Amino acid sequence: MNKNDIDLSIDFCGVNFKNPFLLSSSPVSNSAEMVARSFDAGWSGVVFKTLNSDTVPIIHPSPRMHGYDYGRKKLVGLQNVEMISDRPLKDNLADFLYLKKKYPGHVLISSIMGFSNDEWAYLAKASEDNGADMLELNFSCPHMSVEGAGHHVGKAFDLIEKFTTTVKECVSIPVIAKMTPNITDMTEPAIYAKNGGADAISAINTVSGISGIDLDAIVPTPNVFGLSSNSGTSGPVIKPIGLRFISDMAKCDELSLPLSGIGGIETWIDALEYILLGSSTIQVTTGIIHYGYDIVEDMIEGLTDFMVDKKIAKLSDLVGKALNNLQTTDQFDLKRQGCSVYDLEKCVGCGQCYTVCKDAGGFALEWDEKKRQPVLSEDKCLSCMICSFVCPVKDLITFKEMPANWKREDAIVMDESLKTKIKYQPFKNFIG
Amino acid sequence: MGTKFDYSQAAAEADRCLLCHDAPCSKGCPANTDPGKFIRKFKLKNIKGAIRTIKENNIMGGACGILCPTSRLCEKECCSSELDRPIRIGKIQEFLVRHGKEIEFKVFDKPEALLEKVAVIGSGPAGLSCGAELAKKGYQVTVFEKMAEPGGVLRYGVPSYRFSKAMLSQELDDIKQLGVKFECNCTIKDHGEAEDLLNQGFKAVFIATGLWDAATILKEQPEGVYNSVEFLADSHTENMDILNSQVKNKKVAVIGGGSVAMDCAGLASKFQASDVYLVYRRSFCQMPAEKDELFDTLDENVHFMILNQPEEYVTNQDGRLTGIKLVRTKLSDPDDSNRRSPVQIKDSQWILDVDLVVEAIGNKAFDDSNELYPNVDVDDKNLIKASLDDCQTSNRAVFAGGDIVRGPSLVVNAVQDGKTAAIAMDSYLKTRRSSDE
Repeated sequence: MNKNDIDLSIDFCGVNFKNPFLLSSSPVSNSAEMVARSFDAGWSGVVFKTLNSDTVPIIHPSPRMHGYDYGRKKLVGLQNVEMISDRPLKDNLADFLYLKKKYPGHVLISSIMGFSNDEWAYLAKASEDNGADMLELNFSCPHMSVEGAGHHVGKAFDLIEKFTTTVKECVSIPVIAKMTPNITDMTEPAIYAKNGGADAISAINTVSGISGIDLDAIVPTPNVFGLSSNSGTSGPVIKPIGLRFISDMAKCDELSLPLSGIGGIETWIDALEYILLGSSTIQVTTGIIHYGYDIVEDMIEGLTDFMVDKKIAKLSDLVGKALNNLQTTDQFDLKRQGCSVYDLEKCVGCGQCYTVCKDAGGFALEWDEKKRQPVLSEDKCLSCMICSFVCPVKDLITFKEMPANWKREDAIVMDESLKTKIKYQPFKNFIG
Repeated sequence: MGTKFDYSQAAAEADRCLLCHDAPCSKGCPANTDPGKFIRKFKLKNIKGAIRTIKENNIMGGACGILCPTSRLCEKECCSSELDRPIRIGKIQEFLVRHGKEIEFKVFDKPEALLEKVAVIGSGPAGLSCGAELAKKGYQVTVFEKMAEPGGVLRYGVPSYRFSKAMLSQELDDIKQLGVKFECNCTIKDHGEAEDLLNQGFKAVFIATGLWDAATILKEQPEGVYNSVEFLADSHTENMDILNSQVKNKKVAVIGGGSVAMDCAGLASKFQASDVYLVYRRSFCQMPAEKDELFDTLDENVHFMILNQPEEYVTNQDGRLTGIKLVRTKLSDPDDSNRRSPVQIKDSQWILDVDLVVEAIGNKAFDDSNELYPNVDVDDKNLIKASLDDCQTSNRAVFAGGDIVRGPSLVVNAVQDGKTAAIAMDSYLKTRRSSDE
């Protein structure tokens, strides 16, 4: 099998995408000039920046974003207080016509958000009439302070159903409902959307957060002339949250709608993880904010190489493939245990493993001061593996399974004699 | 030079890359390598894509990663230098190519060889690169090599501590995978034989024989005086043990200040010479070797005898070398071209006791080299006259590149010549084909 045998195209709500990679509704999809360049770079479609109906003036705060760095790593997260599109509706719709004319094979998804039933209907119709292939209902913009808009709708589930119904009644193109992650269970609002007629769910929008505080001004970031706000966090830091919500919805039989995965996707590996947990399309913003549109080339190439390697010709065969291996913790086989393995030939002698094992693990390491190397007592190793996470050398510390009769030592009790003095009765469970 | 990167080191180094919009590194390579792109791919975990980016452009990407003087090519303009130090592009490149083998990633599918037969003479970097490019285009390529194994300067001209045979054989495998055939120990040496290939079914010939004669410094060459070509080549053949025994625990002087001199001095040091002297008639900062080569040579405990000019070899009654008579020099005032020449200091002769001397002042073409291709024009140094734009010689079906055209030059330039020649040969053969029809 070689790369010519690989088919990255995918059907999503009856619409064909030449690959699963789309721009999400955000600053990166603000105008046709930008979107056209992204299509040239290889993105198969766009969820255009959420339209407004010109009734409320949209003015973005300034500055509107703040980077969240970790050590040398720039932009592991991004904080933003940007609103929906501040462009006149006519400009956006003219851009729709341009994109559909110039890129008929690419998919144009119009993101809309209304403040009333009528406004939802108006924007839905205007989108369909001007060439949108699909709609995405923005029930999740974290920056709308008005009741009845953005994430406020996403948390008031009956409104989700009501507005979805309204939109579905006035258009014939497929409708995606975009969910906020700032709730505990996403399947519930998703089912409300389904009941309203939604054809698919996209998730997640940004996670509500605060990236930091400007300590000179004592103002959280971004510092908008002396004030900040609880606002949307995106980027690699939120990927675990996105993967969790996508998998919850993918496993929910009552929902069973196609999913569009969003949240911290930068590489083909991130995208593939979303696909394996049930997404059939992928949306990206922060990855583009960090690196530009060209990252899609690496997503396509990396995913294609993976599929060649695994001899999987069709992308649809990967969708949800990891879901069976994702179960609740009570399903684990706890009889099987293992411990860490050290390949000390590679050791550089930094001793970080020793520090973390002592202060956060099972104290399974001694430190050989002469050799400046750890010495492992396997019987004490908790297999937490934190040593391997801090070790700077790849594959120096790995995991191995131990024999069935192996037993880990208990943590030491400082003074066994004190056991005679403790106040204690065994717990009795009277219920059931 | 330093050690090779492992995965974590390469990833950490790639992580430092700023992914410049108009990456200056990508404009600094004579062979059009695009570090801006392959580092981005690596950084975005598209590791196979990164390897593909390197190898599709340059079949000898691993060799170049090791041997290129990157500090004055791709790394020279690196924007990270403004922050701390340039990204070590060559080392990342070498890692990626090596990693490709570790993960058994084959960049190339074997192309169907449906087009004409073409011949390449010489299996150094120019010949290998040309052969690979032609095979990719569908030609049936045979590479003729006079030595026992392919590689040319990569096998016989660079000390093995600096360039491992493992990388060479990996890249030769890639070339063989493309369908290129090798004929080693071949005897194309008689009058006109290179051009005769055109009468034996080959429709075009690429000459990339390199420079294998050595310039000499002093007329008298007593026993104990090597030239750099023999010295380096012997270290790779069955003569290695003899060479080693002649060097071990002996005093060795290397004469010259270029990269090859540094290689010879480094090799003598690796072979455990008791003392290695590097004799150079100008000053330290005038040495043509790369800066990092100079400092690596210092790290090998080589004694730099700068501002000393050899006058004659000193021998014992048996005529064997026992030392060099050197005369001390000082630098003249700058001349019109701002160059300062060494001027001998009167009565400053002294004798440096040594057991072995390696003359390393540069390679040149054999005086009779154009015997092989009498209809191809050469210049007064016996270098083939060919334009660097298309490697075309005075014989329309004969192309040439690498050191036999340029004179002593870099591996990466030879690679580029091979690529240029392949494009020109393809277009020549296309024209021929259409006029035949």
